Amino acid sequence: MSILIDENTKVLAQGLTGAQGTRDAEFCLRYGTKIVCGVTPGKGGLEVHNLPVYGSVKEACQQHQVDASVIYAPPLSTKEAVIEALGAGLKLIVALAEFVPRHDTAVIAAAARENGAVVVGCNTNGIISPGKSKLGAIGGDDPSEVFAPGRIGVVSRSGGMSAELSLAIKRGGLGVSTCISMGGDVIPGNPMVDYIQRFVADPDTDAIVMFGEPGTKAEHEVAAYLRTKACTKPLIALLAGEFQENYPQGVSFGHVAAMINDVEDTVSAKRKMLSAAGAVVVNSLGEIPLKIREQLGS
Amino acid sequence: MFTLTEDLTKAFLSDLGLPVPQGLAFVKSGEAARYAGTLSSGAVVKALIPTGRRGKAGAVVLTDTPEEVKAAAGRLLGTEVHGFAVEKIYVESKVEICREFYLSFSLDSFPGQILISSSGGVDIEETHARDSASVIRGDIDPIKGVNKKQARYLWQQAGVTGDELAEVVSATTSLYDAFVKADAVMMEINPLVLDSDGAVSIVGAMLAIDENGLPRHPDWAEIADGSLIASWRKFNARELSVSEANRKIKGGAVRYTELDGDIALLVGGGGAGLLQHDMMLAIGGRPANHTDTNPGAGIEEKFKVTIRAIFDNPNVKCLLVSFNHQQLTHCARKAQPLAEILRERNVNTQEFPIIVRLVGPGEEEAKEILDEFPGLTYLPFDASLDDAVRAAVDIRNAMENVK
Repeated sequence: MSILIDENTKVLAQGLTGAQGTRDAEFCLRYGTKIVCGVTPGKGGLEVHNLPVYGSVKEACQQHQVDASVIYAPPLSTKEAVIEALGAGLKLIVALAEFVPRHDTAVIAAAARENGAVVVGCNTNGIISPGKSKLGAIGGDDPSEVFAPGRIGVVSRSGGMSAELSLAIKRGGLGVSTCISMGGDVIPGNPMVDYIQRFVADPDTDAIVMFGEPGTKAEHEVAAYLRTKACTKPLIALLAGEFQENYPQGVSFGHVAAMINDVEDTVSAKRKMLSAAGAVVVNSLGEIPLKIREQLGS
Repeated sequence: MFTLTEDLTKAFLSDLGLPVPQGLAFVKSGEAARYAGTLSSGAVVKALIPTGRRGKAGAVVLTDTPEEVKAAAGRLLGTEVHGFAVEKIYVESKVEICREFYLSFSLDSFPGQILISSSGGVDIEETHARDSASVIRGDIDPIKGVNKKQARYLWQQAGVTGDELAEVVSATTSLYDAFVKADAVMMEINPLVLDSDGAVSIVGAMLAIDENGLPRHPDWAEIADGSLIASWRKFNARELSVSEANRKIKGGAVRYTELDGDIALLVGGGGAGLLQHDMMLAIGGRPANHTDTNPGAGIEEKFKVTIRAIFDNPNVKCLLVSFNHQQLTHCARKAQPLAEILRERNVNTQEFPIIVRLVGPGEEEAKEILDEFPGLTYLPFDASLDDAVRAAVDIRNAMENVK
């Protein structure tokens, strides 16, 4: 198994007719993702990669069984596209666009919670269950170079780092059950801790690797969850951006969300907090497979 | 995030029909004084800089006559307040203050917060330190917004009643709508004033805007540029060149911030850049700068400007070009601009060490492009980000030993 997506997940692509949607979908289809149709308002009736395109999500869902939507809409249309997918009853949505306005991301996060849905993103390169399915640009045209199938769950606040973590796992002779780029925005559609809980519940995930950054309370929520002792699997945490503490608050050198507004949001504070709560905190990629093996006794 | 100056903030609020005192920005003290003469009341003269706490810095002056306005303006213009050069002053009509409240909305995290207090006019941190119970906080539901019911509940908790309650409740919901409309991540109204007629007046107003909202506010685009490290220090010429390229060239994004080390970093991808920077410090390397990049059409041109800035920095002794596995972006799109600037600047790569870790699609082509530069180290696919940082620090240390 894996979390959120596998070889049976039937996917709708919102914005399939755009350049990014068409190219990404081609790579996904080649990887094995079951994209069943596309939606672009005003372009119902077209075909892309031999897939039918509908004018609305509702119409597409009447014609096909759909489990998830991947959204290629531009930043200013993303909120509307997510709301449309939620309205049609979809429970897994991957919203890829970067530069979605903060107020829109807040509405998306609230609407996802109201509908009991998972919105991955915004500002993500997607999710992948290696060897089964992927949504978004994650892994590019040859995901197997980076992502080996296996039993380690990965969740990262950085899309680029989701690849590096998975590559480190692969080089250590291990593989990934599902890798989630949760999105680099201040307000993600779904909180980091929710992915970790899903990995804990997944019988085919043995250990979890997370990548954290300065800013936001994502890691605090993970630490609070660890303190409940409900996390029955080893959690390896790599956090980057400690150097930002040498500079004034309110300066971000990376993702917008990596801006420190509060001393508790620094990487060193988060490292301490996670470590005290029971996570294995590492400082380099090379340590990741070693610590996984040590924790799993393999 | 960038802070709007008071003139733009108040013009925005005024356009939405919100009650702000009449005011205008000036660069010359004489014009400011003439304008003050047309106001029906005395005037307040303020240094127009994108930050708060101006009162404490002596950058807010209450005046009664145009002569006083001229003197105050002349005194403020050309000075520096909280690190910002005062190039403009704001002159506005003085309001008869009867009561002062505090109101702010923020969207630093989910859910957003509304903060109110019946003690306005001083820093909210001070109010909180003196009497934490007087600061009332509420979560904002982004779908419902801040409605009259929630606003009334909060202001009642703050002890406001009767006609005053009706006035501040109505101002609160209108200001929340403005907060959303502005794509603001922070709106602070301090003080929110009830004047001698019992009417609301927005005397202190500060707005911090989300850059992602800028396409909905084209008028503000110019101001947003370069504000990122403005709260810390001003850009130097090299940083400014990258910042300008970012604004003028369409597509992608590069950020370049100089630091005091000697190993230049051309790194990116948010997290991978942060990780490498931390690792470098941990093993004794000193970055000469930090960069962050968003790929996108046009990024090559921005890269060139950034690489030029790196070579213009006299402290730089070697260069690490290292990115996370590119996944979708072709490696040549980073190698090509590097090669072009190395040629343009006639960089002797035998003497100036360059470490490149660039893996993913187009890796072979990227290697070929950089093949013409003897001494440049293109790390093999198996090299991790850890390895790349170590290689750069090792080579820098080796240079030290040769001397």
